[in-house]
Amino acid sequence: MNGTVSLKTIMPTKKRMGRYDGGTVNLTNAQANREYIIKDIKTDDLELKGFLFTLGCYEGEKVTLLSVLGDNYIITIKDAKYSIDRNLAEAILVSRSF
Amino acid sequence: MKIALAGNPNSGKTTLFNAITGRIERVGNWPGVTIEKKEGPVKKNLAGGKTNIVVVDLPGTYSMSPFTQEEDITRSFIKYEKPDVIINIVDATNLSRSLFFTTQLLELGIPVIVALNKSDLNRKKGTVINVQALSERLKCPVIETIATSGRNNGLKELISTALKIRGTKQEAPFVGKVANSNDKSEIEAVDRQRFEFVKSVVSEVEIKKHDDNRLSRQDAADRIIAHRWLGIPIFAVVMWGVFSISQAYLGPFLADIFVGWIDAFHAWVEGILGEGVSPVLRSILLDGIIGGVGAVVGFLPLIMVLFFLLALLEDCGYMARVAVVMDRFLKKVGLSGKSIIPIIIGTGCAVPGVMATRTIKNDRQRRTTAMLTPFMPCGAKLPVIALFSGVFFNDSPWVGTLMYFVAVALIIAGALIIVRITGERNAKTYFIMELPEYRFPSLKRAAISMLSRGKAFIIRAGTIILLCNVVVNLMQSFDWSLHVVEEGAENTSILASIASPFAVLLIPLGFGAWQLAAAAITGFIAKENVVGTLAVVYSITNFIDTEEFELVGGATNVAGVMGLTSVAALAYLMFNLFTTPCFAAIGAMRAEMENKKWFWGGIAFQLCIGYTVAFITYQFGTLFTTGAFGTAFLPGLAVVIIMMSVIAYFAGKGEQKAAVKATLRA
Repeated sequence: MNGTVSLKTIMPTKKRMGRYDGGTVNLTNAQANREYIIKDIKTDDLELKGFLFTLGCYEGEKVTLLSVLGDNYIITIKDAKYSIDRNLAEAILVSRSF
Repeated sequence: MKIALAGNPNSGKTTLFNAITGRIERVGNWPGVTIEKKEGPVKKNLAGGKTNIVVVDLPGTYSMSPFTQEEDITRSFIKYEKPDVIINIVDATNLSRSLFFTTQLLELGIPVIVALNKSDLNRKKGTVINVQALSERLKCPVIETIATSGRNNGLKELISTALKIRGTKQEAPFVGKVANSNDKSEIEAVDRQRFEFVKSVVSEVEIKKHDDNRLSRQDAADRIIAHRWLGIPIFAVVMWGVFSISQAYLGPFLADIFVGWIDAFHAWVEGILGEGVSPVLRSILLDGIIGGVGAVVGFLPLIMVLFFLLALLEDCGYMARVAVVMDRFLKKVGLSGKSIIPIIIGTGCAVPGVMATRTIKNDRQRRTTAMLTPFMPCGAKLPVIALFSGVFFNDSPWVGTLMYFVAVALIIAGALIIVRITGERNAKTYFIMELPEYRFPSLKRAAISMLSRGKAFIIRAGTIILLCNVVVNLMQSFDWSLHVVEEGAENTSILASIASPFAVLLIPLGFGAWQLAAAAITGFIAKENVVGTLAVVYSITNFIDTEEFELVGGATNVAGVMGLTSVAALAYLMFNLFTTPCFAAIGAMRAEMENKKWFWGGIAFQLCIGYTVAFITYQFGTLFTTGAFGTAFLPGLAVVIIMMSVIAYFAGKGEQKAAVKATLRA
């Protein structure tokens, strides 16, 4: 091990990539007050997916995480503010918008 | 002619409806206040001489494909009942989301007017919308409205435009053609194009100047009010304030004054009747009607103050935040954060409380909330609480407070049991709640809400409660052969013979007197009846002493007449509060649960809880105060054990189901 650098320290982990390099992460890993682009809604619940769609929460749209209050994530989509729980925040996959 | 009001939740439809019709339907600053369609004729000064213009207020929805139950009401009405004109209320501060639904409405062929509501808020924010351009792009008239304002609110123009475009054919600016309506991906593709269309419209007509200070102030408020830990003490203080003002300070003070008037009226009628009137008629009039109804109406000020404060709370935008704060806890016991809204509304009245569960998407969470909401002490239960805390506990404020805490504890315990019975302990649920902007609550709206609910309370007292009191009075005055019951032989009355078998069941709870059983039974018709009936059967003319400014005068006398120990009185109070609610609330439960098994299970569950709580309070309370269990401990224990075993059996079955599901998933 002496002298060799483990691959891990060079390669950013997947989570890190999401945070800093514009990869896809779920909303719980997003940074506050920064605009993200929704990449996917990961759920088997088609009704929920359809409902989120009517709010403008679907692939390609913008979302901003305002604050994290415990297990609640306050987000804005279009001009409305919503509070969602961790389960839902984990289902919303986003990437940084540039 | 029928005009439908449709739009996104919390866009101000009901406020507009009230302004157009002069009605006073419930409004509030959170999404999902309106859960039923409501109709009313247009006010004369707006109708411009025309009659028969009916406006229909519909629950808010984000699209024509419903998510929760109340949204389905809206879709069905527009699709099948074909209104002549649709007024689409659009929240001007959120054009880009609202117009999605607008484009769907425009495709139906029914003439549409867009009411650009909350246009005053936009002006404050510095957002400008080109109304002319919007109207051209949507191919329908667009009118700016301020539903909350009395003047210059755009309503007259709205109605006259509706009259003008009636009978025309609406042209759709965007046609979402779906060849196969079962093809989900095709529908989604079309809806995407729809949103693209909306975006292009918004970009053309809206100029935004973001006032960041204002927004960040709102966010900063949320960071404190909806904070994971701070939010809980804030909620506790707010609710404590509501209840202590209404029940310990302002409410009783006003009640004292009010009861003075009732007393004077009682004396006046007594004077007019004189001695020559038959004793039965005299008893019906004085004890049955004035005494019984007066005993209930005397508590009106407490209830009015409570309603006023609840209305302020509903108006300022706080309710949605409470749902957010409580979601974490309520989820743990198998409810949803949204369950807190029915529970808070339930402190006013359980019927609208149970109906408010309609906005909860998950069936199990909705039904459980509908089953548990009636445990909350409602306005009608307040007189019962006030009576008992006055008579037996020297007006101690802890009695009322304790009842709310017990209610919350029962709701939590009940939810924990039910989630096990259903076997859905590990089911994944989602929570999403739109957070409306905070605003300063309107005193006028709160006053209107208080007056309309106070009026409903008086009407109940003057109809159903009056009737019950007269019937109770008659049943008590006569025996089965319709002879007047002699003094000292009250046990032979019709009322006594009907109530006695029930009274036997109540012996282990410490209150096996037929009078108390009769009062509890009439309580199922309306909970205020407990007070009214007690006043009638014990011929107590007034519970509230005006001379000494005490809520209940001659407390020791009243306590003596009822012959209850303090512990038994507390048990009786709890039995009335925490058993099955009144018939109106039961009807609401049945409507919202939409399932016979749940409904009957719920009623049985509530009965069991009421009985068990009273049993524990009486028997263990007696054990602590006297060193021995109360009367009939063992028979009562047997009943409670049987009930608990049944519940445990169902819970065990549910747990098995959950285990099977878990293994299936794995």
